[in-house]
Amino acid sequence: MLLVPCPNCGPRNQSDLRLVGESISRPDPNTASREEWGAYLYLRENVADWQTETWYCRAGCRTYFKAERNTATNEFRNPPMPGDKVGSGTYITPSVGQPQGEQS
Amino acid sequence: MTAARDLLKRGNKPARYSAATLAKHGLTGEIWPRVWREPEWKSTYDVVIIGGGVHGLATAYYLATNHGITNVAVVDKGYLGGGGSGRNTAIVRSNYLTPEGVAFYDRSLTLYNSMAADLNINVMFSERGHMTLAHTDGALRTMHWRAEVNKLQGIDSSVIGPEDVKKNAPSLDISSHPRYPILGALFHPPGGIIRHDAVVWGYARGADHHGVDMHQKTEVLDILVEGGEGPEGKGRGGKVKGVRTSRGDIHAPIVVNCTAGWGSLISNMAGVKLPLTTHPLEAAVTEPVKVFLPTVVVSGSLHVYVSQTDRGELVFGASVDPLNTYSMRGSLAFTEELAGHILELMPGIGKMRLLRQWAGLCDMTPDYSPIMGFTPVEGHFTDVGWGTYGFKAGPVSGETMAECIATQRTPKLIAPFNLERFSTGELVGEKGAAAVGH
Repeated sequence: MLLVPCPNCGPRNQSDLRLVGESISRPDPNTASREEWGAYLYLRENVADWQTETWYCRAGCRTYFKAERNTATNEFRNPPMPGDKVGSGTYITPSVGQPQGEQS
Repeated sequence: MTAARDLLKRGNKPARYSAATLAKHGLTGEIWPRVWREPEWKSTYDVVIIGGGVHGLATAYYLATNHGITNVAVVDKGYLGGGGSGRNTAIVRSNYLTPEGVAFYDRSLTLYNSMAADLNINVMFSERGHMTLAHTDGALRTMHWRAEVNKLQGIDSSVIGPEDVKKNAPSLDISSHPRYPILGALFHPPGGIIRHDAVVWGYARGADHHGVDMHQKTEVLDILVEGGEGPEGKGRGGKVKGVRTSRGDIHAPIVVNCTAGWGSLISNMAGVKLPLTTHPLEAAVTEPVKVFLPTVVVSGSLHVYVSQTDRGELVFGASVDPLNTYSMRGSLAFTEELAGHILELMPGIGKMRLLRQWAGLCDMTPDYSPIMGFTPVEGHFTDVGWGTYGFKAGPVSGETMAECIATQRTPKLIAPFNLERFSTGELVGEKGAAAVGH
């Protein structure tokens, strides 16, 4: 089973966590066009390479965090630490109802 | 090129398979001729189809037979039928949830029914009936919904009670003891299983005899597009010029993406972003035993489907892994979970041993319906988003994609599956019938 590097709990079994998906930034719903909103909802890069993604540690610390995984080999790199910079974005605790967070 | 010589000798006519030829070869020990050519490399075609699975080969076959377009190349980075076409659990059915889906998959079932005669190959279609078990009131309600949608379109599909379930598959536990007791099932007699390799070979052989060139071990590295608004002239408004492969460039005004699990990677080469995520789906097969399971059994709540092959092996399939990845390695966790679920359904098979397990890639769309037809790039057609239901749709996809390419109009059957629906919001929600229920 895949060991997922949770910043708070350390490496945990994949079954303890949920992959939210590719980390993407959410456009402003007040100004976004129909295409932009459709793209935010549905379109994905789906790379066969390093991907920055959002995980939810559902059976552990119950926080959302970002990790970098190679989708061709399932390796992780730069395991996140509490409050660390992760990949292209910064690890943040998202507010309730917005699990995707914003890239900063 | 012995194969090419063989083909010339028999005047490009398909060598028919029959009981007589089988007896002749059996008695004389004569070697069977190569079934398809290894074509010479050509740098110009009318149509290039990327992906040599059921979808790509069926598209090529119907382009040649229905529309007379034979200057077609099928390119595949591996071998024919090495992707999802050879990794699925070979179940076919048409009891879907949306009217659009039902009409589409029913046409596929019709083509599967006459395939052995059409392609002159034994596809071993076994119309043994398909049962989708309901373990909760909610599931039972969806079954009734599906049955009514199906009946309206003239499809044999009805909800049956636990006693009839037991009659159809005596090994199932219909008592109230399990965690998920069986409350009923959606029974679909026209569903069944088919030999998936023979389907691939049948289409490949048929396409080859009509002059289609199939280039195996030829990886597409890039799609050549001009005039688009994206980087390198790709993307919306562009026009396809051909493909760059590991063996050289091919010039073609039409390029079709039939690569399923790898669909995003190919589509990105043309600058067309798709709403796909690629997930592996794992399956497993047991040792062969005497036939005891006469129908296909599916359980949505337990995330499992099972059928028994003519050889007597039980074939198990699961739902897609929750992780998007292109890696096809199996896992012990999957096997344990699958075995637990199977034993809950059929406690009597506890001593059977698993022979092997494998995984295939599924390109999941948000609404569990495919993406077919035109793209914003002129000449680039897409036939992806096949998730967990690609094999059963193979023949109809080939037929409709060929019509779309040849007539430059979207056939009615695939109009709901256009790419624009993800910005207009007109999704074709098929999750209730396609998420696990194969």
